[in-house]
Amino acid sequence: MAGNESLVKIFGAKNVLDDAETLEEYSGDFSFVSPVRPRCVVKPKNADEVQKLVKWANDKRTPLVPVSSGSPHFRGDTVPGIGGAVVVDLSGMKKIIRVDRAHRVAMVEPGVTFAELIPAVEKEGLRLNMPLLPRKSKTVIGSMLEREPVVMPKYHWDISDPLACVEVVFGTGDMFRTGQAAGPGTIEEQWAAGGAQKTPYGPGPAAWYRLIQGAQGTMGIVTWASLRCEILPKLEEPFLVGSAELDRLLELVHWLVRMRLVNECFVLNDSNLAAIMARKFPGEYQDIKDTLPPWVLFFNLAGYDYFPEDRVSSQIKGVSDITKRIGLEADKAVGGVSAVEMLKMVKRPSPEPYWKLGGKGACHDIFFITTYDKLEGQIGVMNDVANKSGYPALDMGVYLQPIVQGSNCHCEFNLFYDPQDPVELERVKELSAEAVNCLMATGAFFSRPYDRSARMIINRDAAYVDALNRVKTILDPNHVMNPGKLCF
Amino acid sequence: MALSKDVYKEFEDVVGAENISDDPAIKDAYRSPDLTVILPGSTEEVAAVIKLCNKHKIPYKAQSTGWMLFAPTYDFIFMDLRRMNRIIEINEKNMYAVVEPYVISAELMAELFKRGMICNVKGSGSTCTALAMSGHGHMGMTTSTGDRNDLATEWVTDEGEIVRLGTLGASDEWFCGDGPGPSLRGVYRGGGVITRQATKVYHWPGPSEYPLEGLSPRYTLSKKPSEMNMMVRYFSFPSIGKLIEAELKIGESEIAFELMGFCPSMVSSNITTSNEEDFETLEQFTREVQGPGFMVIIVGNFDEDFAYKKKVLAQIIKETDGESLKAVEDPDAEATLLFQCTRVCASIRETFRAGGMFSSMMVQGQRYDNHVRWLEEAAVLKRELIEKGLVIADDGQQFGWGEEGGHLGHTEIFCRYNPYDEKSSKAVQEWLAKVGKRALDGCFAVPSMGILPVDVIGKRASNYHIWFGKLKEAFDPNGVGENTGFSYVGADTSGVHTSIYQKPEKASPKK
Repeated sequence: MAGNESLVKIFGAKNVLDDAETLEEYSGDFSFVSPVRPRCVVKPKNADEVQKLVKWANDKRTPLVPVSSGSPHFRGDTVPGIGGAVVVDLSGMKKIIRVDRAHRVAMVEPGVTFAELIPAVEKEGLRLNMPLLPRKSKTVIGSMLEREPVVMPKYHWDISDPLACVEVVFGTGDMFRTGQAAGPGTIEEQWAAGGAQKTPYGPGPAAWYRLIQGAQGTMGIVTWASLRCEILPKLEEPFLVGSAELDRLLELVHWLVRMRLVNECFVLNDSNLAAIMARKFPGEYQDIKDTLPPWVLFFNLAGYDYFPEDRVSSQIKGVSDITKRIGLEADKAVGGVSAVEMLKMVKRPSPEPYWKLGGKGACHDIFFITTYDKLEGQIGVMNDVANKSGYPALDMGVYLQPIVQGSNCHCEFNLFYDPQDPVELERVKELSAEAVNCLMATGAFFSRPYDRSARMIINRDAAYVDALNRVKTILDPNHVMNPGKLCF
Repeated sequence: MALSKDVYKEFEDVVGAENISDDPAIKDAYRSPDLTVILPGSTEEVAAVIKLCNKHKIPYKAQSTGWMLFAPTYDFIFMDLRRMNRIIEINEKNMYAVVEPYVISAELMAELFKRGMICNVKGSGSTCTALAMSGHGHMGMTTSTGDRNDLATEWVTDEGEIVRLGTLGASDEWFCGDGPGPSLRGVYRGGGVITRQATKVYHWPGPSEYPLEGLSPRYTLSKKPSEMNMMVRYFSFPSIGKLIEAELKIGESEIAFELMGFCPSMVSSNITTSNEEDFETLEQFTREVQGPGFMVIIVGNFDEDFAYKKKVLAQIIKETDGESLKAVEDPDAEATLLFQCTRVCASIRETFRAGGMFSSMMVQGQRYDNHVRWLEEAAVLKRELIEKGLVIADDGQQFGWGEEGGHLGHTEIFCRYNPYDEKSSKAVQEWLAKVGKRALDGCFAVPSMGILPVDVIGKRASNYHIWFGKLKEAFDPNGVGENTGFSYVGADTSGVHTSIYQKPEKASPKK
């Protein structure tokens, strides 16, 4: 504990860890950022302790690296950017503070995982709009703060959804609540007055939560967040559409999302769909993959409290009109994959092992936001870069997720590799850097830049960086929050 | 404002002699003796004007279409953005439109209708800017609300720096406004000028243009709404509780294109063409309704969808003891409400016509059920003003509407009055202050900007005013910009009453 006595005094010895094994665990992840060993790991139990820690960090000018999800980590944002940092492990803050059916909102602490929150909201007749099969250790707040795409574009009104309000300790050590939660009154007083912490923007002209999201912990530490939930359907009717022609599938996606006919809606290539459905690798994976067309669209129709059968049958009529016009057919199964099984999968976190790791033990994701018309060209560019590097493009996973009600599309390439094979690892590392460059030239927008390319992506626009730094100077003037990330 | 000749010339060099004026006749048109009007035509000109304002420490105010004109009480440059009136792009496939600040919603909607699309139109109406930004609209149930429709944005800061958010900065495209990293959509309401912005657009299954017939001011449609898979109804309920139950059920069942919590007075304003006719109709409606109500517009994507939505609506209304207002079932009245409330050309009739002015307490974003108790108290206080003859007699009801399928909402109550009657104006201001204080003391909501001093509100809401002040200082170090962050539509004033901050000393204008 040499050097960490003051922390031990505040948080207790069992909550300040600096043994070699722990420090090693937090010093790196699956990303390609250079490993940096933290000074210690502190596990605060509540918001008050978080605030004390941030004030201590300002006092001692010591970097803090917040992390809420459990390992494995993939993006490098929770690996210290510089030496001497204290990792703030929030995974122990696990309270589900409130689930409010009437307002369709839940409030959780940062350590609450999807696996923990899903049954709690289901008990109240609600469900989450969640990312595609997150790993078991992924926290809800971690996902929302990173603006991860969610599987129901219909309910993704704004790119910030489903995040509602947050309580945050800014880098200054000041506590702040955003949106409707800001006040007047305490949270409990707001509940008593019939309110809920649901409206995200304000108070005043600013939308403070947008400055916290996407910041990779560089602005402050969130101690709870509220999130909008959706109603649990009474009836669901999932479908799959397979095709070798991506442009046709995307045309269908556009109309399904535009007319708000579907809930879950996304496209996977054969590699990713097989990776999700297989439990044994490589045998079962390859067997499933062999039955699949290159692209598969999954969508789900839902009926709620009123005449659910009528609603679903009306939606089927609407979908059928579109598929006929485009020349595609929606089925209950494509190849060896059943739509019903797929629906079961997407309602839960990934089974173990995490679907991205089952095949080869590691995965590197390259993801960006784009528009439908550019996708085919961008996938072609990625295939070329992969093949040229010696990585077979046919092995690569592709995930296309319409977001913001169809205004954007999240495109994700999943490069599965064996981390024990130095040649393969080096290939993926080099391929990744090259791919980001080539994709940017095609208009791919890396809204959430991570890993080694982050600085290159964000520093391209000097005016934007200058504006971000002005905000940073207000919220974290001593640069104690996760230094070395983004442009900070 | 009497700019020195040299300074005036510097501004003139940016926009050209025909786009700057300090002629007294022009000043009168802008209702201020203290201004020089400048009409920039591009982002670069806006940036150059603001840079000059910084150089000479002259405050500026920018306004696009405005809602009411709030002339500051100090000397300033008034940047009228009316020359920036281009629709830059409508992208059907990716469902967004890009506009300059003086494109009005009516223009954008006319173009979108042709493509089977619509956009959010703010409650201020279709004659106001189509920039998404702030402002909540009657179609919020389907077309979201306020800043949540913003995508990529071009923003000129109060220092005259051009910042391009999201994809605009990265690749000169418009589809995303967030990142890389944290989103500056969080700060651009703090000041500066939005010069171009992409806004989300939505599917519109209705006609490419409404089949209008009749003569001004009495238009209707030559087709019945039902022939276009559309229906408009007004329902009243025996109690607020029942109304809220119905509103929530309609939101959750995703059947309403629009749910607008009109009071009977707002319905009567919209289907009548004069105050006399309005008050007569209101009397009739007041007799007919059983209690508070709302208007619903159902729009079917196709026949089966329309049939399903009507069936659910009927069931919900039955469960909640709602009663349909017969006058609205008349196809002519229904058609009038349909085109007025989807093209949102209704607002002026609801607000200004009766008394010449209105003042409002609103809570944007939060659902009606959160605020009903507090605003019922506000309605009681308003009725006292009605009894004293200080405001227009419209029964004093609050109203609200659902947004994003009922996830969010808007609640409001306003008084319509004669602004030239000092007693009325004073009474309304006192009413607002009383209602605002109750909002704070009851932990209901942050009251509308300008109703109470900002430090009174800020202390009760995470001290946001202090943090906002820091943002303002960071992006407007010379204090030349609008004080409230609402410069783009003039939705707030820089006058003494509603300023967040008093004008900083260092921004005193040169004369």
